[in-house]
Amino acid sequence: MRSSSGYTYFFVIAMAVISALLLSVMKISLQEQQEFNKALDTKKNVLKTVGALEPGMSGSDVEELYSSKFIRQSILDSEGNEREFYIYGSPASPEGYVLPVSGKGVWSTINGFIALDADKNTVKGISFYDHGETPGLGGEIEKDFFTSRFVGKKIFKDGELVSVTIAKSKLQEQSEHAVDGISGASLTTGGINIFLRDNLLDYLEMLKERDEGDTSWQ
Amino acid sequence: MAIKNKIDTFAGPLSRSNPITTQVLGICSALAVTVKMDTALVMSGALIFVLVGSNTIVSALRNLIPARVRIIAMLTVIATLVIFIDQLLKAYLYDISKQLSIFVGLIITNCIVLGRAEAFALKNTMWESALDGLGNAMGYGLILLLVSAARELFGNGSLLGFQIVPDFLYVEHGGWYVNNGLMLLAPGAFIILGLLIWLQRTVTGYTED
Repeated sequence: MRSSSGYTYFFVIAMAVISALLLSVMKISLQEQQEFNKALDTKKNVLKTVGALEPGMSGSDVEELYSSKFIRQSILDSEGNEREFYIYGSPASPEGYVLPVSGKGVWSTINGFIALDADKNTVKGISFYDHGETPGLGGEIEKDFFTSRFVGKKIFKDGELVSVTIAKSKLQEQSEHAVDGISGASLTTGGINIFLRDNLLDYLEMLKERDEGDTSWQ
Repeated sequence: MAIKNKIDTFAGPLSRSNPITTQVLGICSALAVTVKMDTALVMSGALIFVLVGSNTIVSALRNLIPARVRIIAMLTVIATLVIFIDQLLKAYLYDISKQLSIFVGLIITNCIVLGRAEAFALKNTMWESALDGLGNAMGYGLILLLVSAARELFGNGSLLGFQIVPDFLYVEHGGWYVNNGLMLLAPGAFIILGLLIWLQRTVTGYTED
């Protein structure tokens, strides 16, 4: 009986249905918790970008600090899609802005945040929280040694947006608009150069339109 | 089966027939998740769950599984268990699951799991298969723990996140000690693993035919 085709079909189908059923039940029952974790992780990354995340902060600390310090704003881009960004501090006297950035690396879409000071020019911090780049090479972009190089850099040069470029050489430390790259991660950082600039341009455009008359977005 | 054989089923894979050091299986994940002890521990736990589960279920179904589709049937069991543990980690140990990233999912292709199902669970009773799975998974976990302890200690100066090397010894604090960055990279894992395999084969006298 075990070698008949009919039994084989029956067995395979029964097995597939039972496993699929078990996994679906499991997925649905854990979904809420998983989404909560994901949202918390995003909040942690927003905090990290402005340098407000202390090591060893519990989930509720993060929630509390996040909800007291950040205001989520949504804005429409030129194609009518909703994009969001965060104001750090109070809307009347903001301490900074956190803009989500994302784009292509080598293998994957890289997601991150860039935080700007209240002058909308100086970089407060940057973080990359979701990517599929090669661990040890492009994957190093998420490490503090790299992201800390962006702090204090300027995105505007003589009133024009130039973004912050990642380039080879330690000499970049002296520049206001460039940071030293990572050996073995040229393609990943090349991708970041492109999407960081594009994203900043996008936001600039949107915010200018929104805050018509507000000339502080140069 | 005599008691001695049962003990052997469980204890053999811990040293004499260890899946990593003797059979050299499951190396990919052993290299990838051993930078720190906590990820190695969670990975070992996940493998214990998957291997005991898959061996037990495959053994329970061994008289029902049609021989022609046995590999697919076994993979379905293994994949179900792996997705199960992956989802659990995402829900309850999110930070560690982020660090383990794809390696929990890759347990599906871990040769140890399919190997034990095919070589042992298909031919033995549930109880023996569970023991065999536990032994092999713990043999894997033991090596992971040793490798990760060495890598974390020499690469980061800590064990399980607790600083072991005193702060004042470090160059930054006026001392002379510097962590060995090589240990945090893949070659460090290769070196430690090679030394372990050498040590283990010297002690047990195992040689390749």
